Amino acid sequence: MSDYWPWWAGAAGLALITINYALVTDRSFGVSSAWDRVLHWRRERRLERMDEEFTDERALADALAAATAEHFGTSPAAPTVPPATSGTSQPLETDAEATVGEDASVTSPGPAPLATQAALLVSIFLGGLIAALTSGRFHLRFDMGPGFRNVVTANSTTMVVLLFVGGVLVGFGTRLAGGCSSGHGLNGCGRLRPVSLVATAVFFGTAVAVSFLLWKVI
Amino acid sequence: MRTRGAILLANIITGLTLGYTVSNIGFGDYTELNRMFTFQDLRMLLSFAGAVVIIVCAFALLRVRRTPGRIHAGVIPGAVLFGTGWAISGGCPAIPIVQVASGYLPALVTIVGVTVGIRMCRWANARYFHLDRGSCGL
Repeated sequence: MSDYWPWWAGAAGLALITINYALVTDRSFGVSSAWDRVLHWRRERRLERMDEEFTDERALADALAAATAEHFGTSPAAPTVPPATSGTSQPLETDAEATVGEDASVTSPGPAPLATQAALLVSIFLGGLIAALTSGRFHLRFDMGPGFRNVVTANSTTMVVLLFVGGVLVGFGTRLAGGCSSGHGLNGCGRLRPVSLVATAVFFGTAVAVSFLLWKVI
Repeated sequence: MRTRGAILLANIITGLTLGYTVSNIGFGDYTELNRMFTFQDLRMLLSFAGAVVIIVCAFALLRVRRTPGRIHAGVIPGAVLFGTGWAISGGCPAIPIVQVASGYLPALVTIVGVTVGIRMCRWANARYFHLDRGSCGL
């Protein structure tokens, strides 16, 4: 008998997390994107600083335009600084994207600050640790459990190689696709984004096919 | 306008609850994951699909803005690679963290693999693929 949550509790939990994040931050969260930004933190920090400087310049230009309009009694001209193209490396299609309105005039709030992405990853570890300790499932081990041993391999060296290769495929694939099960699967599908629906169908379908191969054939 | 502190707090709460929930659903357990992907046990599949249905309804009711999201060239090959890696290692990018937190020490190797893969993607895309925005964080 499984000591895991029933399906409805899991569904409610995942949904609440996703909805709460969207309402509080006006953004989507994505774990692969958080990994990507944390791993490239030097570049991300540089881009964040550029964004901050740009914001200052834009504020100055707006203030000058308003002062000029007040002095000459005309309506303020459009800011001289061109509209922001996101200074950070986060593409619009990534799973950590900020929500963008259907109306093109709605501005994006931009990606979450880099430090918050690192906090997300650390917190996932702490949340998992609390769950394992409170449920009595925590147990230090040097294997991946009976399922991996029976379905994939019982050999330790092969296990290490396969976990590494699998990890590389996950890291490369999620970034190439622009998201993972949280970004595309929960946040993207929840917003009915075509790209997320396609990505989720393909990565889930592939995982089903490979799992059947591992289970029945190999 | 959301402040930096509010976003930080939201990420901490989201991380804690996501790690707690994902672990208690069983996504960190390779046996449970393989049973889901081979349809031997629909519990985790229903958890994920049920969550998506609730989110779609809630976002519609709350009028959360939809994002356009264009299907770019990296989506399908990336998703195929991701699905293959998930089935083999049992880890999407959050899961190996939860596995290590549950005591599965070999999942550290998966985490190393994920970090290598993410860095490789940016490098390979900049050097060879030249895919547009939406791939590899470029």
